[in-house]
Amino acid sequence: MASSSSSSVDQVSRRTQILTNHLNQSGFAPYSSSSSSTSLEFSACINFSPPELSERIEFDTKEMRKLLDAHNLEDRDWLYGLMRQSNLFNPRKLGGRVFVWPDYNQSMEQQREMTMKRIGYMIDRGVFEGWLTAQGPEAKLRKLALMEVIGIFDHSLSVKLGVHFMLWGGAIQFFGTKRHHDKWLRATENYAVKGCFAMSELGHGSNVRGIETVTTYDSKTEEFVINTPCESAQKYWIGGAANHATHTVVFSQLNINGKNQGVHAFIAQIRDLDGNICPNIRIADCGHKIGLNGVDNGRIWFDNARIPRENLLNSVADVSPDGQYLSSIKDPDQRFAAFLAPLTSGRVNITVNAVYSAKISLAIAIRYALTRRAFSVAPNEPEMLLLDYPSHQRRLLPLLAKTYAMSFAANYLKFLYVNRTPELNKAIHVVSSAFKAATTWHNMKTLQECREACGGQGLKTENRIGHMKAEYDVQSTFEGDNNVLMQQISKALFGEYIAAKKGNKLFKGLGLEHLNKSCPVTASQLTSSTLRCSQFQTDVFCLRERDLLNRFVAEVSEHQAQGKNKEYAFILSYQIAQDLGRAFSDRAILQTFTEAERALTGGPLKEILGHVRSMYALITLEEDSSFLRYGYLSTDHVAAVRKEVTKLCSELRSHALALVDSFGIPDAFLSPIAFNWLESNSWSSVQQQLGGTTFASAI
Amino acid sequence: MASTSAQDELILVEKAGGVRKFILNRPRQLNALSRKMISQLLQLFLACMDDHMVKLVIVKGNGRAFSAGGDAASVAHDIIKGNWTSSAAFFHNCFSLTYLLATYSKPQVTQSAMLLILIVSILNGIVMGGGAGVSIHGRFRVATENSVFAMPETALGLFPDVGASYFLSRLPGFFGEYVGLTGTRLDGAEMLACGLATHFVSSEKLPALEEALCRANSSDPALISAIINGFSQQPYLKDESAFHQLDVIDRCFSKRTIGGILLAVEKEAVKCSDEWISAALKSLRTASPMSLKLSLRSVLIREGRLQGIGQCVVREYRMICNVLKGEISKDFVEAKSSVFILQGCRSIFFDKDKNPKWNPSKFNQISESMVDRHFLKLDDEGWEDLKLPPRFNLPAHAIAKL
Repeated sequence: MASSSSSSVDQVSRRTQILTNHLNQSGFAPYSSSSSSTSLEFSACINFSPPELSERIEFDTKEMRKLLDAHNLEDRDWLYGLMRQSNLFNPRKLGGRVFVWPDYNQSMEQQREMTMKRIGYMIDRGVFEGWLTAQGPEAKLRKLALMEVIGIFDHSLSVKLGVHFMLWGGAIQFFGTKRHHDKWLRATENYAVKGCFAMSELGHGSNVRGIETVTTYDSKTEEFVINTPCESAQKYWIGGAANHATHTVVFSQLNINGKNQGVHAFIAQIRDLDGNICPNIRIADCGHKIGLNGVDNGRIWFDNARIPRENLLNSVADVSPDGQYLSSIKDPDQRFAAFLAPLTSGRVNITVNAVYSAKISLAIAIRYALTRRAFSVAPNEPEMLLLDYPSHQRRLLPLLAKTYAMSFAANYLKFLYVNRTPELNKAIHVVSSAFKAATTWHNMKTLQECREACGGQGLKTENRIGHMKAEYDVQSTFEGDNNVLMQQISKALFGEYIAAKKGNKLFKGLGLEHLNKSCPVTASQLTSSTLRCSQFQTDVFCLRERDLLNRFVAEVSEHQAQGKNKEYAFILSYQIAQDLGRAFSDRAILQTFTEAERALTGGPLKEILGHVRSMYALITLEEDSSFLRYGYLSTDHVAAVRKEVTKLCSELRSHALALVDSFGIPDAFLSPIAFNWLESNSWSSVQQQLGGTTFASAI
Repeated sequence: MASTSAQDELILVEKAGGVRKFILNRPRQLNALSRKMISQLLQLFLACMDDHMVKLVIVKGNGRAFSAGGDAASVAHDIIKGNWTSSAAFFHNCFSLTYLLATYSKPQVTQSAMLLILIVSILNGIVMGGGAGVSIHGRFRVATENSVFAMPETALGLFPDVGASYFLSRLPGFFGEYVGLTGTRLDGAEMLACGLATHFVSSEKLPALEEALCRANSSDPALISAIINGFSQQPYLKDESAFHQLDVIDRCFSKRTIGGILLAVEKEAVKCSDEWISAALKSLRTASPMSLKLSLRSVLIREGRLQGIGQCVVREYRMICNVLKGEISKDFVEAKSSVFILQGCRSIFFDKDKNPKWNPSKFNQISESMVDRHFLKLDDEGWEDLKLPPRFNLPAHAIAKL
């Protein structure tokens, strides 16, 4: 940042002036009743000036919020209100405002208990009504909206609920049949049982098919017998297992008459209703973690634990009372795929949560950058606002644009998910993998940048951003490691390519239709208007995806020609696989953005979204080295892109406040530095109460 | 600025050093706030802001009421004559005054502690509707054993206004929903318990308190608070008070829809025979369904709780204009023209057996879009959003957020 060193004498005299003013400040001791200061002259002490006073709002932020939140706005606001109104959500008054965020200074055990208490509060108020028992897209959207709001308060709370409803409840819904639905769904919804989801093991995470837990069938008693044969087969990271869960879905190899039928899911009780661990079950705690300490992750061992035959979740395969294995799907590969396909809800949830986390941190960091000043450009001038520094704009505003883009992407994914049909399962799997990786990586990057942009204030837990880094780090790992997901996308695209070429068919689905057309040609001279044209942006994104897919297929084929098997060929082609995965995600995200834009009829909202979309597209061109590496853009092009990004930064600067206001996150869920941080850090704030309250200051 | 103290003045003004006393003086109408009183109050408060002498303003009522609310009779009169815009103008002033009071003591806005003016409202009697608007937003609210507070609008085809969507939604838990939807009456002890009042002083000590405040001649909130504390006592919160049952209130009134609330209250009423719960049930069943929907879904839960006071009054003004215009539902208009209200809120004291016919009469006849329309700007020519007092030379959206 700029600091003037021109006239040191000026600086010294200015400092003296400031110090004098500091010393002469009356009201320093807030209880002195003598108001001795009679001067009303200008004080050089920093005054807090709310950004609302200086920033213009040039579009309707409520309408923008409707686009971003997309559905169930009133349900969201109701839940924000529910949390704000309860002492369980740890309201704290700072600088005349109430903020809610969990007390992360509590011990792990206390945080876990608070999570359960908050869940209890929400059960009483009907938050979870219909989360498992109601049918149709509307009920699903309500559930997703409320989950998002809960995640804005605390990631632990949302993960704890996600395990119970999405994983345990989802497994029963999707893997189970009517007998399971009747028995468990209602009981789950009102927390008569507390569920968890025992899939990963110490020795196997992403590779579910390699798990080592073994289940056999005893036809004499008509029971399954679940066993943990070795230490690497212990169930690991099972959310809810360490303290609270009464039941779990267990994933295990099913061994019938000496033949392994592959991975199946069973319901097992692990605690009685008083919380005592059941016989033949051993449970240990995963211990303190870098984040998410409000979730009780545990480890489970099964010592030939017996469960009734009916507890096999039998949507794709069953075992008859006399021990015959029955399945309509003969191929174990297909059986496994059909089995896991419906479980994408977790990734949908993570995607959306990551976007909201980025929104919180940007809203805080940008509001702070609009009120915090540092260094003067010239002596005796007021110091400059952080966000007036082009460098600060360049740090935050592209992240803001990406967050907007990913907001539209997440909404697209959500609607795809709630309206899904069996034919869409594959598309949902690929798109959710792509968006989950893209948004969670983006979120971590955004959190780090915002933390640094807030300087020391970013390190305080009360300002949320810094702490959220630890809370959200897990997102790039659970429900599929991001790097593995990227490779899966590339593999899926490879499959599409081969199927299209072999069958001489057109590409259909996943937004790959552009491959049926001729290769787009982009202008050799990139003017400002070309760069901002959505057709150009789409073309260059498609060009990259098309070329990388061709290269990937070529490289895999080459490895195969050299005698390597397909799996190993994929593994060796990891570099292009990674690039291709990103190219697919970026293009898909851009597509959702332009579609959202197209739905608008014009006006200031559409105009500003055009700028934001251009920023998203151009920053991707600037940052992703594959454009240069493979020559989709020349060095001259990239220079033009870079220049345009700078211009866009200064244009978006004037809308920054409106753009973060449009996130619709209530003030109480941001943090003190997003508001009057002078007042919240003042001595009188330390002293808490001055007597009397105004409702105006009780916000 | 009027400062005579003739007996026929609607607002008496007394000066003592840096202290001003504004006394609502329309005792036979329970100090119902007429147009003239509202605009006088507005002028008086604005004048004080320019007067560097003024440190403290005491607001009180003459007679047995602080104020029973806005002067509904004159509003009703205008509507019957088909002149809803004239009523809208009344509310415009009312809400501007509310906003002015709510932001009166914000030192960072006025930039200097010297300009801080404290407002002490002495609520020795009835405080309803508009009466709450000119008192609750101030820094200190002194209740007495004579205080009776209520926001009775849902029984009149209206909704709690004058910034009530702001202050009710900030009461503990969901007490605000309970108070706003049922129109229940709170006594001084309950007002103190829930935070509507900041102090409780026995009415016999009021003259001494006023004297002490005048003598202090200070705008230091800590000092003023200490002085009022000196006269305060901890009142006895009666055993049958609903405030003892906050958990029940929270359970019932936190529901997302008015139907959900009604169902929950019905369930509770079966379980226990407490007076307050059956009274609440009765109020909810007899209130205007549209009023309840507006008040809950939109005012208290959806909007008020998340907005600043400026945004709240701007929104309330839009809603009130839509109600006054009466195109979506005619409840308020009907209630008035059937002379349901005679003077201010007297009807709910004296004419308890009035039985208004609401239209729509059932919740399921009210679509979401009908409720939504109340929040839109009116497309009448010449109609504008509430203009907040231009005291800070700021655009409205900026003031609204503060």
